Amino acid sequence: MRFRFYPLLAVAALAGDTRADLGVRDYRYFRALSIDLLGRPATRAELAAFERPDFDLDAWIDSAMGTPEYSDRLRRIYMDVLRLEVGPSFQFVPAPLVLRREQVLDAEGAPIYIYFRKGQRRVDPVTDGDFCLSRDDTGMQFPANAPSIGFPHPVSQRVLDERTVVVKPWWLYADYRVTTPTDRIGDEWKKRYPGFVPAPALLVEPDGKTPTTVVRVCKEEAQTADSGTVYASGRAGAPKLKPGEQLPAGRLDAPPGDSGFAKNQKGRAVSCLSGTGFQNSVECGCGIGLERCEPSSGPQFESPAFVMPTRTPLGADAPFEATPQPASSWERNWWGEEARVFLDKIFTEDRDFREVLTSRATSVNGPLAQFYRFFAGATCCGPSADIGYSQPEPLVEPGAIPQALVPEDTATWLPVADRGPHASGILTMPIFLTKYGSRRARAHVVYNAFLCKDFVADSVKLAPSNEADLTKRPGCSSCHQTLEPIASYFTRVTESDWTYLPATTFPMSQARCAKADQSKLPGLCKLVYDPAFSDDRHSTLRGAYASPAHAEAGPAGLAQEIVGAPEFAPCVVDNVASSLLGRALAPEDEPWKNQLTNTFVTGGYRMKALVKAIVTSPRYRKGNDAKRAP
Amino acid sequence: MKLAVYLSFGLLAACGAAPGIAPTAPQPLPVAKTIAIDTTPKERRRMMPPEVYLRAYMVWFGGLAPLDVQARAKGKALFDAWDDYLSALGLPDYRVDLPRQMQTNTLMLATLGRLGEALCMRAAERDLHGKPPAIADRVIFAFEVVPTPSADEFRDRFDVLHRTFVGYPVALGPADRLAKFYALYQAVAARHKAAKQPLTGDETAWAAVCSALVQHPETELY
Repeated sequence: MRFRFYPLLAVAALAGDTRADLGVRDYRYFRALSIDLLGRPATRAELAAFERPDFDLDAWIDSAMGTPEYSDRLRRIYMDVLRLEVGPSFQFVPAPLVLRREQVLDAEGAPIYIYFRKGQRRVDPVTDGDFCLSRDDTGMQFPANAPSIGFPHPVSQRVLDERTVVVKPWWLYADYRVTTPTDRIGDEWKKRYPGFVPAPALLVEPDGKTPTTVVRVCKEEAQTADSGTVYASGRAGAPKLKPGEQLPAGRLDAPPGDSGFAKNQKGRAVSCLSGTGFQNSVECGCGIGLERCEPSSGPQFESPAFVMPTRTPLGADAPFEATPQPASSWERNWWGEEARVFLDKIFTEDRDFREVLTSRATSVNGPLAQFYRFFAGATCCGPSADIGYSQPEPLVEPGAIPQALVPEDTATWLPVADRGPHASGILTMPIFLTKYGSRRARAHVVYNAFLCKDFVADSVKLAPSNEADLTKRPGCSSCHQTLEPIASYFTRVTESDWTYLPATTFPMSQARCAKADQSKLPGLCKLVYDPAFSDDRHSTLRGAYASPAHAEAGPAGLAQEIVGAPEFAPCVVDNVASSLLGRALAPEDEPWKNQLTNTFVTGGYRMKALVKAIVTSPRYRKGNDAKRAP
Repeated sequence: MKLAVYLSFGLLAACGAAPGIAPTAPQPLPVAKTIAIDTTPKERRRMMPPEVYLRAYMVWFGGLAPLDVQARAKGKALFDAWDDYLSALGLPDYRVDLPRQMQTNTLMLATLGRLGEALCMRAAERDLHGKPPAIADRVIFAFEVVPTPSADEFRDRFDVLHRTFVGYPVALGPADRLAKFYALYQAVAARHKAAKQPLTGDETAWAAVCSALVQHPETELY
């Protein structure tokens, strides 16, 4: 719970031992300090302590700056600027992660659930890429993202045993990795794993009453190997029927064909943690206890999975109304929490604020550990596999993530000292990279939040132009001369994603993507390389044209540029001071702002010195001493 | 006839070219009065951040979690669900890039009023009605209720509420504040004099005073 009282801040007042010299101005100042540093008005006990002759306001301020509410207050300043939450418009539903559920009749005619992944590769062309039971097996057909159709009949036990297996999954058992899991979800989990509440539909069998103790899942999905071999079915790449060709019995769509990668790399090992493994191997499943997948309670990819609050303005430990939501909401929520915890740590421990952009450290809990270890690679690598990029080079090294955290452990946050060489503060966190999907959006928000500058267009009349280089195009250049080189720092981080494009596979110029006729470039070239900046001799990585050097430096290079900029420290001062004063700083505040900047910089870019200088200044005191209301 | 001729000449003359006016350099308007304009930054009260208001509200409700407050505040249409109020309180919604509201508006004030009433009614039921807890265990009404209190008796009790919500002793407030709230108390107590359920007249009057204080500008601003 967040509603804490601090006995040390409210030493019980002794009767009759109060200061007589206190005026309204003093009380108002103390109230403002309480609101800004404790996150609530002072209690009567705290007021009584304040009135004592021996009350030490300076020590009180120091003590209050050690509370979680103090870091909450500072975090709000930067969350207001960065808005690091992602709404449902960003759907995180990669096929490798989403375990859907269909209902069939078992051998006795009773309804049962069977979990599967849409797109799961299977050897049988009747079920390849689809549900593992056919129309002949069940009497049903299973359209994508829609309820099943047909007239169900019991599935023989032999078929069930052949095509499916029974698993104790991670969302029901915390010890799912042991041979015989026994730590099943129960009331005690509410305290141990607060906030982890699977959707009610995941906890009961189709009769709506019988508690679910195991789940039945298609056998390919239940595989646990870390890697598989590339499978080639021999079918054509495009899943389109030729004239006279028929779909395999009972299928509603054509089975997947072989990708270029499958044709060329057949039999080669591929990681089951990548999307490439999922798409090209029949040996890649959801891992032990299905830990590489997320449950859902229906055949759609956005069926309810977890009961969780839509909004948590007072933090995850003080939730408001909760409703069943899809697993993608679960992931988005924890991406946002990672940024919150990261900022809190900087403020609580009074760390160098530049770490917000430069640090390679973070903290993770169970859901985030699961994401980084098992989910993050699922969006890689698409057509890039054709040129050899089938194993994602991560922004966050999965090996750096503590293995002790189970996916349901929402309460335990463990530090990750070094996420990896590409990591850089919030700039490489999933919440930042998905909130600001494009390179320019990422550049813009950093420029605005950390340099307090914005792009203001020239009042130039825009004329038609074929100039692809926005740093030169009339009317665009005034902003893009600055924006494009900053955006270039994100060249190697895929847009709306966290897949890193390593220089070994994606050099700044790719010979095969250099063609005189850019319209004849392969699809991958158009995806990763920019035809507008390529010719018959060289190509240019998409987004890098304004500064190839920045593209190679990556987000870490941007972090260094921003924290080294002369505007960085004054911008921090501006953000914090204007928030605490409740007004924008004016030109008359400039000398004071310079003093604060000096305090901040000489104090090692730590917030406590800055905040204390602000809240003890006459400006802050006067800000609460406006004319009294009647 | 003569008149018609004169009129015709007059009209023709009116339609003729205007006499030329030679351009002159613009002249400044004469100074009537000189006043100094104060361009220094003006301090003004800030709106209590909605997160702070929510946290304070939870504290005033007895240190409960949001959902417990919601469960306890519901009933008699005093309170609905937190989600109905969060945006009206001015909270930002980062998911949809809805910014924090930095100034009050009528919807926000109505929401604060409704929440305040729910708080004070429930607090009066808990702290004052029937068999109330010990004074030390009361969060809002940490005093004994006396029937039809005198001005002095009212002042001592009102001071408890004033400190809780406004943050300073009522003795330091505007001279007429005590009298205004005492008048409010008396009016409400008189109107509910015969009531016994859910609250007595005096209890309802204290709930009304609490409600007025929790919506007071000095409570909502800082």
